[in-house]
Amino acid sequence: MSKLSNFNLRDTGAAIWAGWSRPVRTVFVIAVVVIIGLVPFAPKWGPTSFLNTPITSFENVLVYPVGMFVLMALGLNIVVGKSGLLDLGYIAFFAIGAYTQAIMSTLHGWNTWEILPFGIMFAMLSGVLLGLPALRLRGDYLAIITLGFGEIVRIVALNLSVTGGPNGIAGIPNPPTIFGFEFNLLFPEHFFWLVLSMILLVIWMIRRFTVRRPGRAWEAIRQDEDVAALMGVNTLIYKLWSFVIGAAVAGAAGVIYASKVMVISPDMFKFDVSILILACVVFGGIGNIWGVVLGASILAYLPERIRFISDARQVIFGLVLIIMMNLRPDGLLPRKKREKIQEKRTM
Amino acid sequence: MSKKLLELKNVTITFGGVTALNAVDFHVNEGEICALIGPNGAGKTTVFNVVTGVYPVTSGDIIFQGTNLKGLKRHQVTKSGLARTFQNVRLFGDMTALENVLTATDVHKKTGLVRALFGTPLNRREERESKARAHELLEFMGIDHRADQMAKNLPYGDQRRLEIARALGTEPKLVLLDEPAAGFNPAEKVALAETIKKIRDRGYTVLLIEHDMSLIMGISDRVAVLDFGQKIADDLPSVVQNDPRVIEAYLGVPADAS
Ligand SMILES: Nc1ncnc2c1ncn2[C@@H]1O[C@H](COP(=O)(O)OP(=O)(O)OP(=O)(O)O)[C@@H](O)[C@H]1O
Ligand SMILES: [Mg+2]
Repeated sequence: MSKLSNFNLRDTGAAIWAGWSRPVRTVFVIAVVVIIGLVPFAPKWGPTSFLNTPITSFENVLVYPVGMFVLMALGLNIVVGKSGLLDLGYIAFFAIGAYTQAIMSTLHGWNTWEILPFGIMFAMLSGVLLGLPALRLRGDYLAIITLGFGEIVRIVALNLSVTGGPNGIAGIPNPPTIFGFEFNLLFPEHFFWLVLSMILLVIWMIRRFTVRRPGRAWEAIRQDEDVAALMGVNTLIYKLWSFVIGAAVAGAAGVIYASKVMVISPDMFKFDVSILILACVVFGGIGNIWGVVLGASILAYLPERIRFISDARQVIFGLVLIIMMNLRPDGLLPRKKREKIQEKRTM
Repeated sequence: MSKKLLELKNVTITFGGVTALNAVDFHVNEGEICALIGPNGAGKTTVFNVVTGVYPVTSGDIIFQGTNLKGLKRHQVTKSGLARTFQNVRLFGDMTALENVLTATDVHKKTGLVRALFGTPLNRREERESKARAHELLEFMGIDHRADQMAKNLPYGDQRRLEIARALGTEPKLVLLDEPAAGFNPAEKVALAETIKKIRDRGYTVLLIEHDMSLIMGISDRVAVLDFGQKIADDLPSVVQNDPRVIEAYLGVPADAS
């Protein structure tokens, strides 16, 4: 047991990675991306057919919840894992992206690709408006304020006429064809590839930040905010940035989500989704992107896979969480613990 | 007459009922090693805290390089050329030694988040330069072989040295060292004294809190003494050493009564 909780797959993986030359790494990355890109076809192939989900079709499960949860968990991880800010209302930014898509497409006839930048922008803007006052406060207060914000966004959506009240908005168009890829019910795997591209982009972004100034500033703030300030880190600005970047990721996810499901309503953006995404981050290994990706994939997929046992699945889900967190309190793949950092790649 | 780099004018700070500093007038000249001594609880660390903006003063002014520090945020104070170490080591434990110093060197960078994302040439150059600078500072403190180790895993003495390297990473005009030799054995203290002199010779001004008298007397240009939040002496080491008030403060009895 102690061996299980000490073994750090992330460090082992990082050590192997560090030993590889650039071409080997490139080939590896491409191979992994291709394999993941093929996952939608897993049920059609004998050895992996057991992966198929009973109620919702597998391809759709891959987009939502799996892909969307991974995306949002990555975004939330910038806030919670990197700079150590507890955001309990993260789903609000997802909702803002989704409603941006719903309203602008149904009322103004814009398409998804045109709306995407606006969805991101509105999410970021609300991140600034919420963050500027809230980030001056510490831990517990921030958690409560973000929790309140998440509920306010949902309740506003529930009561406005432009958001369609409790019924929400229907008839949201799918994204138009881009690079020859059609987006409609016939090609759910195209949505998956889209979400996968977004995930890769976010991972690339986080990795860039992590080895440079922003990552250090966040890490310093997370470990000791007072000392960080005394070492010259503009703590408010960097906290705000992490908050706003997290918001942007959720906003982008929301836009795509709305144009995939075509109908949205306030009850999709409840508090428990915020908590579930936070659970993905913690379960996978707070602060480590690979852990977060793995954690979110498992926690999003598992309930769908065992849907046939209906009510009992929530109990099993809960048990898995409890057992895992006891065995590995730092998550499946905890954040960096290794001593040696291979530097040749980071610059 | 040398130039005053830092000047505290009539600084008072109270915590609830405790007056930690009481109308303190004190200055540090450019290019000197100035020592701040006094019994436990005299208010030495509090001087560092008010200067670096951790606590706002109750009254009085703090002038650094001719400008009043009042109202500056902590990171702005640091950016203006003040850096410090901590009496109880406060490193970023889960970062490597190198990353600790890099975090400090970031303060003068021009490129922030957006240019880091796109890896602009300026950003790359800044990252490269600060990495070289951080290694140089670790080397200077004699701990470059620890660069890739987690700060929390370093031996205690190296943690103290890393704190100094990190403070120098902000390229300060004035370094504030809070009991840097605490817990050091005599040989380590001698080495540290040499290092502090070298720091001064590199053009930094040093304000040093220390309890070890022989270390203080050996390297300081000037010594100020605090007792119960008040400055009771401020002069050459040799003069301060024989000041009856200082002896009284340290021994707790009037010097002539013993
Ligand atoms: N944040 C604070 N809140 C309340 N009292 C404080 C605070 N900081 C300092 N004090 C009080 O101010 C006085 C001076 O403390 P300070 O830490 O400056 O002493 P010092 O000279 O550094 O002592 P030492 O040699 O033990 O480090 C003490 O009585 C201390 O209890
Ligand atoms: Mg002290």
